[in-house]
Order: sequence, then structure tokens, then C-alpha cells
Amino acid sequence: MDATSAAYVETRAARAGGIPRVQRAAALYLGGLVLAFVPLAVLSNDAFWLTVLTYTYLFAGLAVAWNILAGFGGQFSLGHGVFFAIGAYVTATLFVDHGLSPWVSLVPSALASAIVGALIFLPTFRLKGSFFAIATLAFNEVALVLANYAESLTGGPRGIQVPFRAGFANMIFADSRGYAILMLGFMALAVGVSVVLMRTRLGYYLLAVRENEDAARAAGISVVQVKLRATALSAALTAVGGALFAMYVRTIDPPTLFSLPDVGVKFALLALIGGMGTIVGPVLGAFLIVPLESYLRALLGGSLPGLHLIILGVVMLLAALFMRRGITGVIDAALVRWRHRRRHV
Amino acid sequence: MLAKGLKHLCTAAVLAAAMTGVAHAQNVIKIGAINPYSGPLALYGDELARGYQLAVDERNASGGVLGRKIEIVRGDAGNPQQGIAAVDQLVTRDKVDAFIGTYISAVSNAASDTAQRYNKLYWDTNAVAAELTERGLPNFIRVGPNAQNFADMSVRAVVEMIAPALKKQPKDLVVWLEHEDSIYGKSIADIQKKLLEQKGVKVAGEGSHNFKAADLTDAILRAKRTNPDVWLQTGYVPDDNLLLKTAREQGFKPPVIELVGTGDTQETLDAVGGDYLEGVFVVSYPRPDISEKYGPGAAAFLAAYRKAYNRDPIAPQSLTAYTGMKILLEVIDAAGSTDVAKVRAAAAKMDKPLHSYPSGFGVKFDDKFQNTRAPFTVIQWQGGKQVTVFPDEARASGASLKNTPRK
Amino acid sequence: MDALLHVLVIGVLLGGIYGLVALGLNLIFGVIRIVNFAHGELVMLGMYGAYLAYSLLGLDAYVSILVVVPALFVVGLVVYRLVLQPLHGESSMQIFATFALVIIFQNVVLAVTRGEGYSVPSRIAGHTLELGDVRVTVSRLAILAAVTLAAVGLHLFLQRTMVGKSIRAVTQDRQAARLMGINVERTFMITFGVGSALAGLAGVLLAPIYTLSPGIGGNFILAAFAVVVLGGLGSVAGAYAGGMIVGIVEAFAGYYIDPELKQAIWFLIFLAVLIVRPSGLFGQPGAEEIGFREQE
Repeated sequence: MDATSAAYVETRAARAGGIPRVQRAAALYLGGLVLAFVPLAVLSNDAFWLTVLTYTYLFAGLAVAWNILAGFGGQFSLGHGVFFAIGAYVTATLFVDHGLSPWVSLVPSALASAIVGALIFLPTFRLKGSFFAIATLAFNEVALVLANYAESLTGGPRGIQVPFRAGFANMIFADSRGYAILMLGFMALAVGVSVVLMRTRLGYYLLAVRENEDAARAAGISVVQVKLRATALSAALTAVGGALFAMYVRTIDPPTLFSLPDVGVKFALLALIGGMGTIVGPVLGAFLIVPLESYLRALLGGSLPGLHLIILGVVMLLAALFMRRGITGVIDAALVRWRHRRRHV
Repeated sequence: MLAKGLKHLCTAAVLAAAMTGVAHAQNVIKIGAINPYSGPLALYGDELARGYQLAVDERNASGGVLGRKIEIVRGDAGNPQQGIAAVDQLVTRDKVDAFIGTYISAVSNAASDTAQRYNKLYWDTNAVAAELTERGLPNFIRVGPNAQNFADMSVRAVVEMIAPALKKQPKDLVVWLEHEDSIYGKSIADIQKKLLEQKGVKVAGEGSHNFKAADLTDAILRAKRTNPDVWLQTGYVPDDNLLLKTAREQGFKPPVIELVGTGDTQETLDAVGGDYLEGVFVVSYPRPDISEKYGPGAAAFLAAYRKAYNRDPIAPQSLTAYTGMKILLEVIDAAGSTDVAKVRAAAAKMDKPLHSYPSGFGVKFDDKFQNTRAPFTVIQWQGGKQVTVFPDEARASGASLKNTPRK
Repeated sequence: MDALLHVLVIGVLLGGIYGLVALGLNLIFGVIRIVNFAHGELVMLGMYGAYLAYSLLGLDAYVSILVVVPALFVVGLVVYRLVLQPLHGESSMQIFATFALVIIFQNVVLAVTRGEGYSVPSRIAGHTLELGDVRVTVSRLAILAAVTLAAVGLHLFLQRTMVGKSIRAVTQDRQAARLMGINVERTFMITFGVGSALAGLAGVLLAPIYTLSPGIGGNFILAAFAVVVLGGLGSVAGAYAGGMIVGIVEAFAGYYIDPELKQAIWFLIFLAVLIVRPSGLFGQPGAEEIGFREQE
């Protein structure tokens, strides 16, 4: 459901004397969490699907993080790969060179990313829509070149290999289920942050700024402050995802981290098809695309080159054509029809 | 939130339904071949798999290994994430006994790491990054050459073949080192620089470029400025071709052009034409046209390839892949199983001199399980054909150097 | 001094390449306000079209313009009608759809060609002209000529012809244009077709220079976007000038600083310009204000 319509529904429920808003939201959130856990429970013994599920959770969380700035804030960023990479590099470097537990490194990773995000996005906030998107693409490309160049910092083209030293403190799990739970936790965190955010003043200001920046400014909202905070939050969460990625794949290099189709643009695609500007949309988008892509690759990857991607592309195209407002749009429309039918039975 | 729950239920149902739990008959030895079979490098991944298949077909025709037939199962992987997923898939669903690969080093890295957790062998035939063997992974064995070999052979060619042909001493030679800027080009160039300087050759400069760049005139002009005797480039096909074209256009005429890794296929011949290519050296994987003495069975490989695929090999990597698979099957035979520890023990014991196999390889693994007898060869373009000219033992009889220095 | 002139020439020629690729993108972006991420793939199709024309019909690359450009025009019409028009008003979904097209186009070509790197020969393309110490190839001069002619032609087309005027009307104000009886949808479709045809032109002219691969479109698309935005949305002169600037900066950065950093350098300059002048160099101030949530 759209954040605004969810709020509306909540208000009506509250007025009708129903369950208080906060409890209701918490119940929904926990319910969603339990349901998100179901695939994990079902598939925990199939290594292939477990891996797919792990990525799905991770990218769902990343798409949700992206959506905070793009969906709620209206700033369509294609440069989130930079934040992802910062998280990955900071955590991996602190672990490999200084033995610092990744759990601890999440803090500096998120902080660094938030600061960098605020610094580089601030000058570009006056750009709108496509211009902003392309400017953020430029950030990704510049960062790619710098990561390749600054060998002492990032390991250059070689990147960083994180050795396999299993242990909870190291965030390296011998049992793959550990990673799946880790990523589920990340997704839960991202969704939780989204839910809380949209209940705070910042969340409402963000929506106001998205809808009409001038009106928001006229109403006394500091547009720049709002955007900066949303950027910092979005970047911080994305960096956490990047850090987890680094501890999972354990081999990170510039081509992997700054790849637009696999990382920076992917966050946007997942959120778009799921339903931009909704809390749940990015999760749904991830659950549609990531398993589908992995399954197609597993099934057809060895046959005619590119076949599985053709199918994926066609599915994506059809999804775009038939689900114009994303998966949540379809569900919303269905719910409206259902409610309508109930009322007029 | 309800919507999310619904979606998750549906997803779970679909996923559960899609799970195939079919048990496989296991009197076949299954080998998972991890390579990029889609994406920009699909051509090479496919070429490697063809090499593997030829070796497997040959072995199956003579009874297989340990009384069982061999089957290849492909796992498509273009980046480390996909490598991990491919290994998971091949182990759990296809129940492979061992792994072979891999055209991309980063993929080999991640995939072999994952294979290690399943305690499955990872036998690498083609990935060149040094750290694959440096990291000491207990299930990893590299039977093919690595970046060090590329650099070694390219420098040996300069010192032992090119210097005399130019009638100069190594210490009087000036070399410009060009390379593409990813780990592949960079790691080879780093070693090249060290080795050249060790031999007293002067490195006039080093140029790093993106292999997808729209324009490489700056790279050519910078090299041209230093007037080198040898222009040494390590890269991929797109930048090789663009650089060669640009060099021709800009009138950059170094006495010797030496390419490393790529530049020895039809793609480059089509791009710049036989006339311009005449005399260009390419350090690359051994070709099927090497002398029978150097690589026994190379001609037979070529015939088998032509018969099976109705064309000539697209790239020489297939011969190395074929040889790598052949050796793997022999090692499994000697080990009596595909168990990692037993295979490693058998591999460590193996000692075959150079020129035992169609690619000219021998077998002698060092303590990091890198085959020390897997050299590259150097070809020279002559009359639109790739003629192996170095090392001397590999040279086809009657072959000599042409157009050196370039006119 | 020699080197300076030489590098300048390289930069201008490279600018011609970027400008030519960006010209079609600029038209589509400026008029229909669609961020067509598949533009690079349209260029790629133009390149493979030139290859097909050569291998099947024996046509020289430059002759195949007559076949490939109209073909890409049709492809553009079809893509617009089937994919983009139904998504009118949903800008974000349009972007998503163009990404899907990128995946489809690239992989269809990969499946058909198995990824082999084709070259398209041309009898005249390889010839070099010498202007003093500077050598210039016919292929790059042809591109410079083409982009100049195309820019001028496009400008005249937009100013003088009825179709062109209706395109400009629609760009300025859709509602008003509709009220004046202009079929907005058809205008958009034609615009997209023309933009794709220009992409095809770029592809054909670039084919003799590069080694074809299914993903080659990706090499140009980012630069093309930077040029379009730098030059100012919808300004033909802007796209032309923007291309030149990017090309010259890249050439100078590559020669005097470091070829490894050259892309980053012009990206940084691009960002700097945007920050100072958000509407681009030649764009109308306020053009950048039009965001994604364009409602009809």
C-alpha cells in the first residue's frame, strides 16, 4: 500500500475505534516478517534456492533503501552503487587489515556513506528528474575510475579478498543459513526504517517535497535539510547492504561493485517494478526479479548464449506494460475492486 | 503489509513447486564446467566448454574413467555472485563430482571458494590471476598457465627472439608497455615491467587504458612520442583492434609490435587486414598448428574440433581447455576417485615432461598446485595466418620471422 | 605546439562521435522527455545493420546508410508504439521498459552472433588525410561532417517543416498543441523514429572504426547522456557543442594527464557545469525543473 493511503486507512481505523495505529503497524510489520521467513524455512535445505533467497533478501533491502530517497523523496538516483561500494570497501578493509569485526564496522561504513552521500548529492539537489539521475550516474562512473586508480585504498583493480574465517563475530558463516538470516535481518531493518520514517515528521516532509517542492518550501519546510537527511539515511542503509555483500561474496572489486546493471541500476529496477514510493513495493520487486533471473540462468545459462536474459528482458517488458504502477499498483487496484464489490454486494 | 504477506506466500509456493528433487543415477562422473556462457564473454566460455567436451568424448569412447562415463554440466557465471550460485546449483541439483573452469578469474575465485565448502575439487584450466593459487585453497588446482607465464613469455620473446632479430642487445632496447586497466592487464604489465628491467631493457613508459574506450589516439601518441623499438600491449580484442587501427592511422610504426593474450584470432585479422598485421607477434595459448613434436596430438585435436563443430577453433583457449580436461581425467584415474584429497595427492605425484600433451604442456605441480609446465607460445602473423615462432621448440619446421623490423 | 593542435583535432573528431550519438538522444529526450536508456542499443543495431548490409548485400558501410537508417526509423516507430506509448504518463515505468529493451536487444544480438567480434570494412573509411603533422582518417571526418550536416538538417527540419514545427509546438506545450489540432501521439512517434534513425546513422558511421559486439552500445550511452544534459535539454546546438566539449576535454585529459583518468575527468567537469548551470550550457533555464512526475 502507498504510504499515504496506509496512513489514511490507519486514521479511519483509529477513528472507528479500532486497534491503535502504532500497534496495528507493528502487528503488520511483524506479520510481514514472519511471512518473509516462510521461504527461508521451506528452502533451508536446498543450497541453490537458499543462495537465491539470500540475494533476494539482500537486494530487497537495498531496493527499500534506495526507495527512501527515490520513491519517497522523488530523487531518482542511479548512483547508489557508490554507497554500496563504500560499505563494502570500508568493512572489508577494516576486517582484512585491522581484524575489526564487521558488526562493528557497519557503523563507520554507514557513517562514511552518509557523509559522502550528503556531500555529493547536495550540489545536485536542484536538478530534477532525469537530470538528477544522469548526474548520479556520473558519480558512479567517477567512483569506478577512482576505485581502480586508488590502489592503496581499495586494492585497485585487484580488489579485496576476504579470507574465509568462519565465526559469528566475523560475520562469516560456514552454514549458508546464517547468511540467509543475516540478509533477512537486513531486509527487516530496511523495511523497519522505512516504516518508522514514514511515520515521522521527516517522512511527511519528504512526501511533501516530492509532491511539490515550492509549496513545501512555502509551507516552511527546509527542502535541502529534508533531502539531505533522506540521502544520508538511504546511503547509510545501502552501505550496510554493501558491507554484508562483502562478507558474503568475499571477493569485491570495482567491476563488481560499480556495475550498473547488476548493482546501481538494479536497485532502481527492483523498486520500480515492485512499486516505487511504497514501503513494500521494492521487496515485491526483488522477489519477482531476483529468483526469476537466477532460475533462468540456472535453467538456460548453458544453452544458447543470452537466451535466459532475453526471456528475462521480455518478462520485464511485459511486467512494465501490464503492471504500470508496479506490483503494488496491481494489488492496490485489486483491493479497491474487492472493497468496492464488498460494499455493493 | 498484507500484500507483502500474500506475495511471500505465493512466492514460497512457486519456489517449492519448482524444486526438483529427482535423484540421479550416479554411475556417471559429472563435472561442472563454470564459465560465462552468456554476456560479453560468452564466446570464450563456450569455446572452453567445447574443448572440455572434446576431451570427454574422446575419453568416453575408450571406456570412460574408473569404468564410468563422464558428463559435463554447464554452470553459467559472469561475475562472482553468479559463480557462487552456479556452484550451489551444480552441487545440489546436478550432483556434480568436481568442477572445471574458468574464463574469468574473479568467477574462479568465488566459485572455487564455494566448491571448497562442499569439499569438491576445482580444477582450473584457463584463469590466469596469480592469487588463485597464491591463496592456498585446499581444493584448487591450476593446470593451465597464469599471469606470470604471460609476462614471462612476452619478455622472453623480447629478449631472446626480438632483440636478435633487431640486431640489438637487450640493454639497447626501448619498450613501451601498454595495457588495459583491469586486473588482467595490470597484473601482467606489472610483472612485465619488473622482468624487463631485470634484463636491462629500458621501459620508456607505461600506458593504461580502458578496453572499451571510444578513442585511444592518446595512448598511441604517448607511445609514439618515445620512439620505442617494441610496442607491447596486453588487452582484449576491442582495444587491440582499435589500437592497431589507430597506430596505422597515426603513422606509428614501431619496429616490433607484440600483443599479449589476444590479437591472434580472425576478429583482429578482419579488423586490420593481413597486410598491416604482417609481422605482429602475439603471446597466447598454444595453437593446434604447433609442431607435432612440441604438442603431440594437436593435429588430432584440430581434426576432432572441425568434425564436431564444423569450423576451425574460434580461439586457441580451446586447446588448453581440452588439454586441461585430459589431464584431469588422467589424475582422477590415478587417484581412483574424485575425492579432493586423493586427487591432490595423485596430482602432486604426477610428473610428465613438457611436450607430453597436445598443447605442449607437461605436468609438475608446485607446492601451491600450479602446474609449472604450462607455457604459452608466441605466434607471428604471416600472410594472414598465425604461425607459431617461439619458443624455438614450438616453431613449425621451416617457419622463420617475417617483417621484423616492420617496414 | 604540434601536439596541442594534434590533440585538439583528436578532440574535435571524438566530439563529432559523441555528438552524433547524442543527437538522436537529445531529440527524444528534449521532445518526449523520455530517458531512453536503449539508445546505445539502437546505435548498436545500426552497426550490426551495416555489417548485415555488408555481408549479405555486399554494400560498403557508407552506402548501407540508405538501408539501415530507414530501417532504424521503423524500429523506432515500432518501439514507441508498442512499448513507450502505452506507458505514457508513467515516466518511471518507461525507464524500466527501456532497460528491458537494453537487455533484450543486447541478448538477441548475442544469441544470433554468439558474441564474435565482427568488423565492417569500408574502402574509403581507412584512408588518412594529412594536414601538416596531423593525420585524420576519412571515417572520423565523415562522422564530423555527418554530425554537422545532421545538426543543421535537424535544425532546419524543426524550424521550417510542418512536422518539425509540430514537434516544437508539442515540446513547448502539449496541451496547447493538442488544442491546435496537432496529433501529439503521432508527433511523438515520429520524433522517436527520427531519433532512432539518427542513432542508426551513428551506428553505420561508427561501424568501420570499432569492433562490433552486442554490448558496444553501453560504451557510448553514458557519454551521450552527459552530452545531452551538458548541452541543454532539447537544444540541437547544445548537443553539438556538448559533444565537442566532452570530446576535447577527453582528448586533452587523456594526452596530458592520464588516459586512465580521462573519463573521470570529463564526468567531473560535466558535474561541475550542471551544478553551476543546472539547465546545461545552452538549455533554457528552468528546463531542468521538469521532473519525472510529468502529468498530462
